[in-house]
Amino acid sequence: MDSSPQSFLARHDFLIRRLHSLSGLVPVGAYMVVHLVVNASVLESPAAFQKNVYSIHSLGSLLPLVEWAFIFLPLLFHAIIGVVIVGGGMPNSNQYRYGPNYRYTLQRATGMIAFLFIVIHVFHMHGWLHADFWLEKVARPLGGAKFAPYNAASTAGAALQTTVLVVLYLVGMLSCVYHLANGLWTMGITWGVWTSPAAQARASVVCTVFGILLGVVSLGALFGMRAVGQGESLQEAIQIEDRLYHHKVESGELEPNEHKRAAPVHETEGEMAQSQPSESINSQ
Amino acid sequence: MGYHNGMTAPSRVSTQPSSFEVRILRQDAPATAPRWERHRITYEPNLNVISVLQKIATLATTSEGKSTTPVAWDCNCLEEVCGACTMLINGRTRQACSALVDKLLQEDPDGLELRPMSKFPVLRDLVVDRSRMFRALERVRAWIPVDGYGDRGPGPHESQESQQVRYPLSECMTCGCCVEACPQFAKVELRQRSDETDEQFAARKNREYDNSFVGAAAISQAMLFNDHPTGHMNAGERLEALMGPGGIQICGNAQNCVSVCPKEIPLTTSIARAGRQTTVHMLRQFFDR
Repeated sequence: MDSSPQSFLARHDFLIRRLHSLSGLVPVGAYMVVHLVVNASVLESPAAFQKNVYSIHSLGSLLPLVEWAFIFLPLLFHAIIGVVIVGGGMPNSNQYRYGPNYRYTLQRATGMIAFLFIVIHVFHMHGWLHADFWLEKVARPLGGAKFAPYNAASTAGAALQTTVLVVLYLVGMLSCVYHLANGLWTMGITWGVWTSPAAQARASVVCTVFGILLGVVSLGALFGMRAVGQGESLQEAIQIEDRLYHHKVESGELEPNEHKRAAPVHETEGEMAQSQPSESINSQ
Repeated sequence: MGYHNGMTAPSRVSTQPSSFEVRILRQDAPATAPRWERHRITYEPNLNVISVLQKIATLATTSEGKSTTPVAWDCNCLEEVCGACTMLINGRTRQACSALVDKLLQEDPDGLELRPMSKFPVLRDLVVDRSRMFRALERVRAWIPVDGYGDRGPGPHESQESQQVRYPLSECMTCGCCVEACPQFAKVELRQRSDETDEQFAARKNREYDNSFVGAAAISQAMLFNDHPTGHMNAGERLEALMGPGGIQICGNAQNCVSVCPKEIPLTTSIARAGRQTTVHMLRQFFDR
């Protein structure tokens, strides 16, 4: 019957959409800025990036809690409500060819691309779940879980060597950047920060500059990481990372944790090279 | 030609056709299948779309020479202040009375394409039921409540500044162009059920309208009356309505409304101001109660 009570979503639509708008800036957008800036620190040196990763991992057992509370759950909320919002819209930028209308359509397209990209990206670098069975039997065979936080730059860089992945990351990252910059502008209207056309035009300039700068940072992160992941710089990065790791473990600053190291990729090769003679001795 | 040129300069292009085609999307009744009909009209200078429709009614013959019924359309003022003749002309929402054929042929020499508005139920041909627009005005209480006829003394003062802000908003004619062009405004079309009285159907329709997007025109009217010194006393009620289901939160900031508004009403400013007022109202509700 039509007299049935409105759904929970309909009754709290205003609050939900305002939370959706807010979550796009804090924490999701803010996290993205930090994430890109930290990753771009690889341009300084693989060691600088590795140190940043260590400071993030210094949260220890609190890290998953912080990640879920401030990254994954807000991101999922923003993405799922975003899909609902996109479902309710009927883009008509072919019929009404105005600048803001193109940006409206693009905001929705980049949001969907960003959602897909982030799902793929989290699988590609982290494998979604940390359970050993899952990592060994599913994630790694499918080309996921490439990132090892204690061999940060080398593993991330090595994972970004194919053209397909670079194109995927370019499209995905630039979609995220556009979505944040344009979302910032629409958020200012939604919350009533910039109201007049002149104020909206000024805000548009600020958001465009912000978007361009963040776009440059994201390109720096991608191609900086990629450059570290090949040839001699890869070997150098691995050596630096391993030195940092052993130093930290020896000084007692870090609990040894092979799960966060890139053991399956390069350490085994090194160990095998060292252990083969001793094995042959043993067998004799 | 000589001195005539000055008056009609932009329209009298030397290559003006002797006739032009008009394609009209016709529909006999609500919820029936529409069909295209073609008409050929002898060119005359300074036609508008209303006079084209009058010529078509006089001819009552399609361009294929078939006899046809007159095309139904709405109109009242014929000077772009009532909004009744709003339709899609060459794909763009606007009033037929102020759509000049010379300009339209300059933009598109192929002729004219007329369609009914796509966001309202079609009653017949180019006539649509825009009652949702007026229901939206009721929803946001777009009026000043007067609760008696006794002399209550002079009302609050109105500043010049606020007059400047409010006058453009008061020019709204509820034509529906803003919501027609809005990608967030979905069409709501219900059909009366056989077991339903007219009153029951009207009530069901209003419920459906009240849960669907209220649209730019009504949001702007809520701002107009919230700005009024007396109307301000009921500002909270209007904001509550704007925060309900189908309220201002549906706006996706495509800003087509302000681009297509024939009265050039600063609709996106009204929407942003409503955003600000609802933000403050929400925080007040949360912390002051």
